[in-house]
Amino acid sequence: MKQAAWNALGLIVFAVMIFPVFWMISTAFKPDDQVIALKPTWISLRPTLSHFTAALHKPYFWTDVKNSAIIVCVAVAISIVLALLAAVAVARYRWTGRKAFIALIIGIQMLPQAGLIIPLYVALARYHLTNTLTGVIITYITFVLPFSVWTLRGFLLGIPKELEESAMVDGSTRLGVFVKILLPLMGPGLVATSVFAFITSWNEYIFARVLLNDQGKQTATIWLSYFLGTSRHTDWGALMAASTLTAIPVVVFFLLVQRRIAFGLTAGAVKG
Amino acid sequence: MLGSSALSAAAVLRGRRRRRFLERSTPYWLIVPTVVAIGVVLGYPLYWLIKLSTERYGLFELIQHHGQSVGLHNYASVLHDSVFWHTLLRTVIFTVANVGLTMGLGLAIALLLLRLSAWVRVLLTSGLVLVWSMPVVVAAQVFFWMTNYENGVLNYVLSQAGLTGEQHDWYASTFSQLSMVTLLIVWGALPFVVITLYAGLAQVPHDLLEAASVDGARAWRAFRDITLPILRPILLILTSLSIIWDFGVFTQPFLLIGQAKTQPGNFLMSTYLFEEGYFRTDFGRGAAISILMLLIVAILSVFYVRKMVRIGEEVA
Amino acid sequence: MKRRSIVALSVVAVLAAAVMTATSVASTKKATASSITVWLQVDAQSGWPDLVAAANNQFKSDHPGVSVNVQYQNWGDHLQKFDATLAGGGGPDVIEMGNTEMTKYMAAGAFADLSAAKGSFDNSANWLAGLAKSGVYNGKTYGVPYYAGSRVVTYRTDLFSKAGIKKLPNSTAAFAADAKRLYAKNTQKGFSAFYVAGEDWYSAMGFVFDYGGGIAQRVSGKWKGLLSSKKSIAGLTAYKNFFYATSRAGKTATEGAPNPNPYDVYAQGLVGSMIGPSWFSCCVGAKFKGSTAQFVMPGHVKGTSMPGFLGGSDLAVPVTSSNKSLATDWIKDFTSTAGEKGLQAKGNIPNATNLLGNSVNERAASRSWFVPTAKHWVDVENGNILRNMLGQILTGKLTVKQAASSASDNIASVLNQS
Repeated sequence: MKQAAWNALGLIVFAVMIFPVFWMISTAFKPDDQVIALKPTWISLRPTLSHFTAALHKPYFWTDVKNSAIIVCVAVAISIVLALLAAVAVARYRWTGRKAFIALIIGIQMLPQAGLIIPLYVALARYHLTNTLTGVIITYITFVLPFSVWTLRGFLLGIPKELEESAMVDGSTRLGVFVKILLPLMGPGLVATSVFAFITSWNEYIFARVLLNDQGKQTATIWLSYFLGTSRHTDWGALMAASTLTAIPVVVFFLLVQRRIAFGLTAGAVKG
Repeated sequence: MLGSSALSAAAVLRGRRRRRFLERSTPYWLIVPTVVAIGVVLGYPLYWLIKLSTERYGLFELIQHHGQSVGLHNYASVLHDSVFWHTLLRTVIFTVANVGLTMGLGLAIALLLLRLSAWVRVLLTSGLVLVWSMPVVVAAQVFFWMTNYENGVLNYVLSQAGLTGEQHDWYASTFSQLSMVTLLIVWGALPFVVITLYAGLAQVPHDLLEAASVDGARAWRAFRDITLPILRPILLILTSLSIIWDFGVFTQPFLLIGQAKTQPGNFLMSTYLFEEGYFRTDFGRGAAISILMLLIVAILSVFYVRKMVRIGEEVA
Repeated sequence: MKRRSIVALSVVAVLAAAVMTATSVASTKKATASSITVWLQVDAQSGWPDLVAAANNQFKSDHPGVSVNVQYQNWGDHLQKFDATLAGGGGPDVIEMGNTEMTKYMAAGAFADLSAAKGSFDNSANWLAGLAKSGVYNGKTYGVPYYAGSRVVTYRTDLFSKAGIKKLPNSTAAFAADAKRLYAKNTQKGFSAFYVAGEDWYSAMGFVFDYGGGIAQRVSGKWKGLLSSKKSIAGLTAYKNFFYATSRAGKTATEGAPNPNPYDVYAQGLVGSMIGPSWFSCCVGAKFKGSTAQFVMPGHVKGTSMPGFLGGSDLAVPVTSSNKSLATDWIKDFTSTAGEKGLQAKGNIPNATNLLGNSVNERAASRSWFVPTAKHWVDVENGNILRNMLGQILTGKLTVKQAASSASDNIASVLNQS
């Protein structure tokens, strides 16, 4: 009985949270007159695929999605590896300069990003990295690293040191402990952090916009902005369809990795 | 015999010294890539930002690539501006409200996830990821549609349910404008907090929790004695991150309130920075405000950060 | 164990390096004399891509071996991008600027001086005064008029005839009387005989100029606010009365996002007439497309038209361009008589008086007003001074005189900033 009550609560939370997303997706299928109608239409009885067609036919869709995928995957992969290494250093070792490093990590996140746009552009221009995917990748790594280090450190601190110490007593090297004990227990933390890194990078707009010029190099979010950029009529139906399309890769990525978070499936948990 | 054992002893000594060197220098090797990555990209922009805050630097100077040094004039002008102080106070209150709601609801939902049947859990987490994956620009527009005066779903539902009389303008006053923004921000922030906390909960030894949850009367003690200590680092981290992010949040208030309606009465630090510094292309002033924001957020979050660092000391 | 992880890490590093070199080799096509970069707004991409292609072809035949790289920008962030390129390089050779955006950048020295080349642009002797003014600073020409748009009234022919309105109104007083008739026949909730958002300053200022008032004027080197003058106050009062008589839109609603667009409200059948750019007729919905037409907004004097805000774009050559003469040639090709006629066919106002036709849009442009060409005008707009003033007037928070005087002083101090 109690289980049913919890489930009901879970479903209510689900419904409330998902409503705006539902609204976006449902609007993507509505014909134009229902999109702007005063009386809201919950689910259209005359659904249309015209908005999706319009969105897919807008030039550079596949190119821009491909660019986003490359940028985000490389940036996230490199960031997570680097962040994990740094998190281990901060969480498991004592060394001079550790506090300064922590201050750097936190301080970077406190900088308002708006102020960095122009100086970052100038800096990257000097390295001839403007209008390149590499420049954007490097920029995203810089934004993703600080909170990844900070978050992974938190997960590391939650793992009792006794686990490693007992393993080392048994003869493992430091690295062995890292691979065989820490890494599996970090699974959920790594997944949560990489999903966040993925989403933040995928949805990032202004830096990509300023750094990338050629339409063949732009990202999915820039492609999306073209629906809003004119001084004239905005095609809301097409915008909603386009947004739905650009959100799909994120969901796919999460579904692929979400099993690692599932409670009770973590390998190598404390036995006894 | 003697020669070879002396050689091998020396080799052992060298190996030990090498290992100790490796041991002591390991943390530095581990952080080098991160420091290099950040330094190479942000080094110059940071220097530029600080230098610019002491200069008079508008569009003209931008084109000339050369500013006029004015010392601390930009800082003085900002600190003497009453709008700055009002905005600061408003942003602090706003941050407290947002972080409180985000962390409170986040923890509650994460704990709820533990109690759910597998299928509901997968449904809810997938729903959260869908929320998370919605671009902020679109989310803001959808939110506005849902809450607008003329044809918003919210007003429609409320009037159908007989809860409000006529159409309510949810954007009439600063308080309601910022409340709508808070709703949008908390809604968008919950997925990360819930999923991260849930991942943290997954690190709690399964059998311990199971034993504790069997007897409901001890659920609170189980939570306090087992779960909370393990979650503490993550809770502190999420709180400090939330403070940092919510203090400087820009996209949601700017889009939901709209540029036309953003004015000193409803400024938050980020929209204030944008309007005063970048919209007016007074880059010097914008840089000064950025540095001030950095210092203020640092002060606001120092409590949590020091706690985090201290926890790290205990463990390492 | 150690060896394996070293191998793994180096594989990651090599992959990363490979990706980086791959993407950077395919990267920056430096703007040499073999190509020029043109920044146009998305409106061109969706509205008249054929005209862009035609200009490119003409340019390529005159300059074989030089290709044209057109990059489309959004109104919302194109200036941020432009600022970044002014600081770090890599900017365009030709850029489209909104006419209200020009002055600030001209004053900062962002553009190349095109005065010498002015005579070589088609119809430059007859450029529309309102548009040409936006491209001139200190007597020098920096911007070439591209196209303009005025404001017209889009209305429901069927509702007008059902209400017994036989003749289109030729004065604001007649319009207000017609509004009364429309309200008599259309009593549904939310209906507006004339839809104008309260804080739609583009429309409201028309009234001010119609009565001979103004926003600001440069007097012996300093800007003086004109809203507090008797004529301006008369205009604002007229706007207030007209709004009360004809519009049920929000008193503090602005004319743009995120508020609903007038044509969306129109498409639901809740609008008898609305004021706005002429392209509003695109989006009135399938139901009313057949019963929609446009007319010029009348002034308060019978038989005259109300001055309409002349919006539009100019084309300029950034001072950072290394292909200024090529850029100028491209602009010549794009704003040629043929090009302008093409723009006219798409519903825009062409850039010269000798090309003007008889469409409603173009007739409305005969009496137009423009914002003060002040370096800091953009700050007035961004500071929403005019919008707030209108809101205060319409909600009755301040009297017209009080609101106008405070706005006038505010504007003067903003414009007179150094």
